[in-house]
Amino acid sequence: MLLSPGARTRRRLAELAGRGVLFGITSVAALAVMAIIFFIARDALPFFTQVGAREFFLSTEWYPAHQPPRFGAAAIFAGSLLVTAAAVLLAVPLGLFAALCMSDVLPFGVRQILKPVIEMLAAIPSVVYGFFALTVVAPLMQNAGSWLPGQFEIASGVNALTASLILAVMALPTIVSVSEDALQAAGRELREGSYALGATRAETLFKVVVPASVSGLFSAVLLGVMRAMGETMVVWMASGNAAQIPRPWYNLLQPVRTLTATIAGDMGEADQMTGSAHYHVLFAMGLCLLLVSFACNLAGEWIVARQRKRLRGG
Amino acid sequence: MRLKLRKLMDHALTAGGYLAIGGMALFLLWVLVPVFTKGFGAYVFRGTVEHRRMMLGEFNRGDLARLRAELAEVWRAREPVYRAVAAFERELDAMPAARRKALRSAFREVREGVAVLLGPEPGVPLPALTRRLYGQTRWEQAREKAADILFEETWEYSDAGSRRVLVPRAEQFEGTALAPVFDSVERDLAAMMRPRLTVYPRFLTDRSIDAHFFGGIGPEVLGTLYLSLGAMLVAVPLGIVAAVYFQEYAKEGPSVAFLRSCVNTLAGVPSVVFGLFGLAFFINTLRVSPGKSVLAGALTLALLVLPTVIRASEEAIAAVPRAFKEGAMALGAGRFRTVATVILPAALPGILTGIVISMGRAAGETAPIIFTAAVSVGQMVKPSEVLSQPTPALSWNLYNLCTEHEAVEELRHVQFGMAATLVLIVLALNLAAILLRARVARRLKG
Amino acid sequence: MNEEAKREGVHLEARGFSVFYGAHEAVCKVDVSVPCGLVTAIIGPSGCGKSTFLRAINRMNDLIPGCRAAGELLFDGQNVYGPEVDAAVLRRRVGMVFQKPNPFPKSIYDNVAYGPRLHDRCKRGELDAIVEESLVNAALWDEVKDRLHMNALGLSGGQAQRLCLARALAVKPEILLMDEPTSALDPKATARIEELIVQLRGRYTIAIVTHNMQQAARVSDRTAFFYEGNLVEFDATETLFTRPREKQTEDYITGRFG
Repeated sequence: MLLSPGARTRRRLAELAGRGVLFGITSVAALAVMAIIFFIARDALPFFTQVGAREFFLSTEWYPAHQPPRFGAAAIFAGSLLVTAAAVLLAVPLGLFAALCMSDVLPFGVRQILKPVIEMLAAIPSVVYGFFALTVVAPLMQNAGSWLPGQFEIASGVNALTASLILAVMALPTIVSVSEDALQAAGRELREGSYALGATRAETLFKVVVPASVSGLFSAVLLGVMRAMGETMVVWMASGNAAQIPRPWYNLLQPVRTLTATIAGDMGEADQMTGSAHYHVLFAMGLCLLLVSFACNLAGEWIVARQRKRLRGG
Repeated sequence: MRLKLRKLMDHALTAGGYLAIGGMALFLLWVLVPVFTKGFGAYVFRGTVEHRRMMLGEFNRGDLARLRAELAEVWRAREPVYRAVAAFERELDAMPAARRKALRSAFREVREGVAVLLGPEPGVPLPALTRRLYGQTRWEQAREKAADILFEETWEYSDAGSRRVLVPRAEQFEGTALAPVFDSVERDLAAMMRPRLTVYPRFLTDRSIDAHFFGGIGPEVLGTLYLSLGAMLVAVPLGIVAAVYFQEYAKEGPSVAFLRSCVNTLAGVPSVVFGLFGLAFFINTLRVSPGKSVLAGALTLALLVLPTVIRASEEAIAAVPRAFKEGAMALGAGRFRTVATVILPAALPGILTGIVISMGRAAGETAPIIFTAAVSVGQMVKPSEVLSQPTPALSWNLYNLCTEHEAVEELRHVQFGMAATLVLIVLALNLAAILLRARVARRLKG
Repeated sequence: MNEEAKREGVHLEARGFSVFYGAHEAVCKVDVSVPCGLVTAIIGPSGCGKSTFLRAINRMNDLIPGCRAAGELLFDGQNVYGPEVDAAVLRRRVGMVFQKPNPFPKSIYDNVAYGPRLHDRCKRGELDAIVEESLVNAALWDEVKDRLHMNALGLSGGQAQRLCLARALAVKPEILLMDEPTSALDPKATARIEELIVQLRGRYTIAIVTHNMQQAARVSDRTAFFYEGNLVEFDATETLFTRPREKQTEDYITGRFG
């Protein structure tokens, strides 16, 4: 071209250098997650070498401030599991129905109004949900015990059910918007094929559209699980924070304590406790949370990849 | 028959869908209505003369002469109460021991109630705590405190549970020198407090006095602004560069796939784990500050919102018509120049949308700043101190005020005010994003 | 009624029938009679309303927001848009094959059995018989009989379109609507579909929209020419292609526009 050979080389070099810088910065951003794993694991390991994993995973005796301290977190794991499971059980059917309604039932105009509503539900900070749970839901819950017939005794308005209810609402926007995208992606042709055979809307949705978009729906559920499991403020404020396994185990009206709330609550005096076993046990909990969220991520990516392969005609 | 059943199922689906959608919308209202209506009460309320006295004393706002005149009026209504309390104190000393014992603790409650309602009696030495320097500044709380004076709260226990019973104290003190107190409190409360509609917009920016007993939420608002702006300052350049790299430079391959997968994973990390990381890395390893600081918190929040910024920017860049890019390339612009002069300006509104939403997210997050930046009690942080000082923040202090503060019930108005302010900030940012997106959509349509 | 008379009988009749998208009239006051048991082709340049008219027959347009119909469309003497007509029941009697093959992401067997399962409680044996018969009628049986439980997404385009035809035949419709059924297929697959249409002639009343005039000439008994939402000409195929009455028809079939 018109450039001299020297200028062309210079230009190519500049291009290459620019590319290198961009790659470097991108790597920093992306590799932050590696740093997170490394530093969480580094501060979690001393706990496992000092105290050991057996007590942590199997015992329910959580007395970190006693002499000698006990770090049995089984009840806390159970609490996280219970609250998350209950929230997901509430949110998934509701979210799926809402997504079906959004994608196939409501007219376009109404949908345009509802989208911001869902975005607003997602945007409200979790601490405000927690505050709402504490000041509005918990008193209602407490009084509900006296209205309900039978053996209901609600000792406190802050319990696993309150936390699960609010968590479900917080997981809903994610579930609805991801599922709606998945349902939309199933396409108009598929729907028309079913309608043309005389199927009703419900039949079309449940027999054709939902099976066709099942992988997208599954990742919606996974994202909902991750949102509910990783949430801190609401469970801290509304779950009651008692490190115990409810009796019977499904009794949602008892207070429970979760991993996230334990980390947030016990790290309060972080500056003073750096280096103690109590400090390290909280990192061990963080590591467990991190690993579960990785597992969910991997499962999600695997499902998407499998679906892609299937659609290519495998 | 079968057709009827099929139709029924169809209607059930429709009804279920409407129910779910309606439920969501109603829940949103259920959250927002109390937060906003009660939060509004922090800014607009019926303020008593004590509020005006406090404003003059602490913030030097108001008209001294008018307040003096008002206080003189108020004094006329309050004087009988103080006089009766003093008289009864003397009467109590003269009583037989048994009767004195029976009345003493109830009298102390009344005397304490009067001090809480009206503030310290003029002429006596001033209390040490600022919160005891003034009486009730809000009319609805003044009425509650008045009820505490008038009635004794007892609990009645039975098989069905416990029940609250209010016993008028006037009966207990009938015929004593204290009796006029109950009459005047019941009759002249308005004259003693002089409630008046008060608009207090500076609740948003005023410093807090004695852990939020009086004053505003300025330090929290400022802290939230520092943290969210600081987070964006770090996350936006990183995020845009990464998005440009992914969209314009990266060739699909294992290393790029790995980087992408890392970004996805980062998006799924629980927020409290970000907090742990911030503590372990920024504070304990890098030692960016001696302890918690705005800087450490902003860095932590930046990591948290980074995936959102990257995704939004990538989408915006991908939406730029290829023709733009090819046009610039055809004119001989290099790739860098094309990105800087054509692609980024065209993608800017879309990128801004992502930034605004991320900022709202950063402003509302609590868990990541607990160990890295937030303090429960603190005053405004100066811009020069952000590198080393921790700060109060709306999200954290809302938590703190509604769970750990010693006067949780009395400070509901401050809590609701904080919640409403926080939600308003976040929703305003989201609304801005929605409007921006609508503009982008219109522009792309032509 | 002898066979010939029934064949000449009117199966579907439009009287002043219009379709609107919002305020835009996509099909304007069309009068047409589709005879029983014959193949009727609908031709015209793209955007002329021919697909819209076809989709109006089994009320597929109901699914499009803002779309409504006016006038009368009689199917066996009953107005398709009458208040007592249920779209699901109507669509069972009026089968449809679409432009792009749209097999469900299920097994081949489940695709064909989808319709019968919706409408009747069939026994396993009956269902097997229906599936086989439909696949035989769609000339697909020999190719797939050993892999009925394979996912239908693995079929080639032509096979998938024949599967869609089999799926439509499985509910035993009276009319078969085809909306450019070969436009997404290669010439060989197109020829097979055309062969099938000829084979099905007589057993079903068939209406086929096509942009391919040769195809219309090859497979149809009657042809309707649509232009800008109006029915310009409707006649026996041979007559229309050799001695068109209207100038516009002649221009279109001789390739002067379209």
